[in-house]
Amino acid sequence: MFYQLINFGNEEFHAYPDKSLYWKRLNTLIVSDLHIGKSISYAKNKQFLPPYDTKEILNKIFVSLDKIKPSNLIIVGDLLHDVFSTLSLKDQDHKNLSQYMKNTDFIWIKGNHDENIQIEGFKNLTNYKIDKFLFTHIPIKTSLFQICGHYHPKVKISHRGKTIFKTCFVHNEKIFILPSFGILTGGLDIHSKQISDVLDKNNLSIYPVGQDKVYKL
Amino acid sequence: MNINKSNPLLLHPLNKWMKKKKWSWFPHQIETFHYVRTGSDVVVFAPTGAGKTLTGFINPIDDLIKLKKFKGLHTLYISPLKSLANDIVRNLEKPIKELDLNISFQVRTGDTTPYIKQKQKQKPPNILITTPESLALLNSYENAKEFFHNLKYIIIDEIHTFLDNKRADLLSLNIERLQTFSPNLQRIGLSATLKNKQDAKKWLCRKKPKIVSYENSVLPKIKILESKERIPWSGHMATYSINEIYKEIMKSKLTIIFVNTRAQAEYMFKNLWLINKKKLKIAVHHGSLEKNLRLKVENNLSKGLVDCVVATSSLELGLDYGDVEKIIQVGAPKGINRLLQRVGRSNHNLNTPSKAILVPTNRFEFIEAKAAIEEIKKNNLDKIDLKEGSFDVVAQHIFATACAGQFNINDLYKEIIKAYPYKKLKLNDFKQLINLIQDGGYVLKNYDQFKRIFQLRENKNIYKLVNKRETRKYRMNVGTIIENPMLKIKLGTKTLGNIEEVFIQNLSQGDSFIFAGQVLEFQSMKNNLVQVKRSKSLISKIPSYSGGRMPLSTNLANSVRALLAKSNMWDLYPEQITQWLKRQKNISKIPKKDEYLVEQFPRKKNFYTVIYTFAGWHANQTLGFLLLRGFKEFNYKPLGFVANDYAIVLWSLKEAKEIKTILNLGLLDKHLDNYLEETSIVKRLFRDNAIISCLIERRLPGMEKTGKQVLFSSDLIYTVLKKNEPDHILLKSSYEDAKKNMIDYDRLREILKKIDKKIIFKKLTSISPLAVPIILEINRENLSKKETDEYILEDLENEILKEANVLSIN
Repeated sequence: MFYQLINFGNEEFHAYPDKSLYWKRLNTLIVSDLHIGKSISYAKNKQFLPPYDTKEILNKIFVSLDKIKPSNLIIVGDLLHDVFSTLSLKDQDHKNLSQYMKNTDFIWIKGNHDENIQIEGFKNLTNYKIDKFLFTHIPIKTSLFQICGHYHPKVKISHRGKTIFKTCFVHNEKIFILPSFGILTGGLDIHSKQISDVLDKNNLSIYPVGQDKVYKL
Repeated sequence: MNINKSNPLLLHPLNKWMKKKKWSWFPHQIETFHYVRTGSDVVVFAPTGAGKTLTGFINPIDDLIKLKKFKGLHTLYISPLKSLANDIVRNLEKPIKELDLNISFQVRTGDTTPYIKQKQKQKPPNILITTPESLALLNSYENAKEFFHNLKYIIIDEIHTFLDNKRADLLSLNIERLQTFSPNLQRIGLSATLKNKQDAKKWLCRKKPKIVSYENSVLPKIKILESKERIPWSGHMATYSINEIYKEIMKSKLTIIFVNTRAQAEYMFKNLWLINKKKLKIAVHHGSLEKNLRLKVENNLSKGLVDCVVATSSLELGLDYGDVEKIIQVGAPKGINRLLQRVGRSNHNLNTPSKAILVPTNRFEFIEAKAAIEEIKKNNLDKIDLKEGSFDVVAQHIFATACAGQFNINDLYKEIIKAYPYKKLKLNDFKQLINLIQDGGYVLKNYDQFKRIFQLRENKNIYKLVNKRETRKYRMNVGTIIENPMLKIKLGTKTLGNIEEVFIQNLSQGDSFIFAGQVLEFQSMKNNLVQVKRSKSLISKIPSYSGGRMPLSTNLANSVRALLAKSNMWDLYPEQITQWLKRQKNISKIPKKDEYLVEQFPRKKNFYTVIYTFAGWHANQTLGFLLLRGFKEFNYKPLGFVANDYAIVLWSLKEAKEIKTILNLGLLDKHLDNYLEETSIVKRLFRDNAIISCLIERRLPGMEKTGKQVLFSSDLIYTVLKKNEPDHILLKSSYEDAKKNMIDYDRLREILKKIDKKIIFKKLTSISPLAVPIILEINRENLSKKETDEYILEDLENEILKEANVLSIN
């Protein structure tokens, strides 16, 4: 799998088309907004989405872990969609997770969707700091470099008379926002008010995610 | 008319009124009255102006008077359009009021206020005039059975518009429900003339089925515009003839100009105003305009307050505009029935012929216009092909049934397969649809605790809705018409109409476009509202609507082929057309009516293959894609293709020598799945299926989700489902829909079955005259969405890299 090289806070990161981010120096894989169990929480409102999202998200994570073999996995919030989500985790899923946790440290940061949910064997944190980097679901006021999720960024690209929307990685000098790693998750335009309120438009670096490649604009 | 003493209608309550008006009964009215009175279900075929509406009401009114002060609902009248329903009320009102008959009648559509709807439920009128969607809603209420149990007649107006689409499926299921409620119910269908009358009869009638037909002997007067200008090779906007069209408008009191797309309507309207020196009152009418604007135009039209209206199919149906003198059809007619329907809008009087002028916008369209006139002279109409009913409509109907109360699935299944479109519905598919409504119907049983309907423990055949709240969701999602995501256009505080979201996304602030006949400047987009201001810009875009393309009917296509081959007719055509055809004959060949001409020639370093199928755009588009695959297999390095109604052109780096080997049925069988996969056809139909079957909710005004997001999430659902459960009933349903509608599967199959014996192959040194029009259409991309996205990103990145390099060198 090809990756796109990204320099953020003077460190080397690799953005992968599966929407994960790899921090080379610390051998750390970063993902965000998995929204595991979104389908089951919709089902309680009688919107019956295909119940395969949990299985697919976990597979995607496992494939990535097998390949990269990171020492740490940081989940920047919204691992779970809501309290019903744990219903979609089967015994086998729990077993697989414990297996992977033997070789990789899972660091689960709370998001707005899952701040009050517990999974056995998992600890969840409000945020997590390494060196001058802060991992947090939603950016806060700080002088640190922040790596966040929450917004599911997408970018509108108009070129030669065509317009497309693409999921993207995006950062400015101090804030990095990851795309959603989930399967049934939508997205938000990076120029929408919600995003531009936290990520001012100056010096934006945008990396749209293609089929097998992350591009750079 | 000879007054026949045995005419039973002379004793009819309406006879007095007819006499007062000095009208006499039509033979088909007498016949219908007789058949219905003796217990038959009847379909009546008659042209506009032959008292069709009245024909439907003859028996109900007779019966109501005989029954004296009948309480409750007696007759249901189904109209395809809300606006038509109001028109029917006005027509019914006249005799009933003038004769002071004790019969109540009301209209019930989406526009009826909740207060009146509530009153109608408590105290129904004798005659209710409504639409298929409102009928479906009525059937979903708990008291539906009591409401309809005395229903005597159901009248389906313009039944020819209901025969081949999902709305027809929905209607057919609801008619069967009414029949269950009221076993004595009789059905009356009213239709424009149709080729396959038997099919309409099969679709509607159950009891002693009868056809009543009244053919009009007065043929319409249709001619092609005699233009001094040069008819262009290609294009669809008729700019060349604008001055001559204007002269024709001046000659008549009131003219309707019909065009085929909304974009053409805006364009024609704008161009007419540019040359409108006489200050004629010209208006525009199409489906995207705000309702009030449309009503205003319709009103002015019926009062004769305008000189000309440019319209799309939005003005085609039903409504009676007595003063229209002339119809101008700009662009190819595309079908005989459609042309007749349009031409029939003028001179709404049986004994004077309608007048129409056809304006072809390019050379092939000239032949098509000529062919259409010939077929109308022969009264050779298009066939409307009945289709098997769609699964998603059954799912919606199951949901509706559950809303009305608990139900037995065996009874429901038996009722559904009485409806003509569902005669062949398999029990197994039906059960999967029950599961779809219950919990999505997935193999993986994750949703046991969240079911929407559930089986009773004491009887597993009986299902019940889990709670009342769900009925609201059904009612918000009823119907089978799914529009593309649209945005409202606001000029100041005034709403002008709706525009496709995709079009707006391609605009930047300050861009101008034409809508509702005005040049508008795009200012901003907020909360699904597009704010615009008036603009004086001379450069403006015209919004296109994806539903715009009309299929060329097989009947007319065959006629075009036959006419093309008749070289003895050519001298009667305008000089330029004659020359065009003669040169084709000399350089290449004119195919006979059952032959398929294939031409190959080199051009600009590439090799071109042109295949003249006359199969219509949908079938040709599919064939083009399949051939692209075939060419790849043979390593001809194909670069692209373009299709129109008449032909396909492919270009490749290498000469496609084995074209005869490639062109056969195997091509279809081998690559079709691939085609459906790679183009977004099935994906788009899946969205409709997911919405119609109520798997996902449709976007409604005020919901914060934008249309884009609904489309987006249905795409995600499609992808996940396809990967994990390819046999799911909704995927099957979408695939069937694709085969039925989008790709003209059967038509293509028929052609490919026999093509190998009918190919006329011509190797040329350069482009042929017949190929010029389609070669001129080459400018579109024919890549799938997936490929296009990657291509755009790749290209943009490269451009930026180049720019960066230049900068670093400097």
